[in-house]
Amino acid sequence: MTAFVLTLVGAALAVGLELLEAMAIVLAVGSARRPRDAVIGALGAVVLLAVVVVAVGPLLLARLPLEPLQVVIGVALLLFGLEWLRKGVLRLAGRRSPSSSFREYLEEREALEGMAPPPPGRPDWPARVVAGKGVLLEGVEVVLIVVALGAGPDGLTPAVAGAAVAVVATVGIGVVLHRPLMRLPESHLKYAVGVVLSSFGVFFLGEGLDVRWPGGDVALLYVAATLAAVSQAQVAALARQPVAA
Amino acid sequence: MRALRTLLLGETVALPVGVALVLLAALALQGASWWEDAGGFILLGLVVVVLAVALAPAHRRR
Repeated sequence: MTAFVLTLVGAALAVGLELLEAMAIVLAVGSARRPRDAVIGALGAVVLLAVVVVAVGPLLLARLPLEPLQVVIGVALLLFGLEWLRKGVLRLAGRRSPSSSFREYLEEREALEGMAPPPPGRPDWPARVVAGKGVLLEGVEVVLIVVALGAGPDGLTPAVAGAAVAVVATVGIGVVLHRPLMRLPESHLKYAVGVVLSSFGVFFLGEGLDVRWPGGDVALLYVAATLAAVSQAQVAALARQPVAA
Repeated sequence: MRALRTLLLGETVALPVGVALVLLAALALQGASWWEDAGGFILLGLVVVVLAVALAPAHRRR
């Protein structure tokens, strides 16, 4: 039950935040150039991702035995999770600008507005490429996180359910944009995702290397509590230090 | 290419190198008799060290 809930929450938060960033880029392209080209670029990236997932995913999962797969997944989750956690600590300590999809939206729009528009009736390739690249890069992270969280024992259902919740929530935010986007505490949410992904990374890596976790799935809770405590101590230490002008 | 590199490796090499070292250390210790019961805590401790090392430059930048 612990693993189910944490997988669901972790997948929903991670996928939601990645989708939010992708949506900010697509909306920026759509509002600065033509919405049609933004959608075409985004759809192209989604199709490319779907082809890769359908073609490569089952092959990879079917050929790898469970324990090496858990090690690979544990390492992947640690790489993602610790990077999110590192950035989260720096943001909460005021050493890095807060995460903001709204700011990304404004910056991307400003950059695109500086480019010459295409002749009427011609495809806007720069807009399509920018939208497609944004969706592709964020989409790769979404796929990796969902696959990694879903590959654990009984993990697929909560991972896919969490991702589905995230898609619905992100589309909802997109429909009533942009005030909710500004109000989201993205830095705190990303820090929390960092703790959850890193905890799953340590847990799966241990399982793949024959570790017997005391308490079974409950280990996820004390691993997460330890990482949260250590990272909060880092936040406090960094926040106390004066920053060079 | 830069975006792809950042996506795969992150912004600092300390994390991928640290995670690789954690994996190597775990594989080296896996055969020990106490590994099954205590290995998880060793892994957790090593990951905490990797996080601290990745954050060390921020502590030095005053």
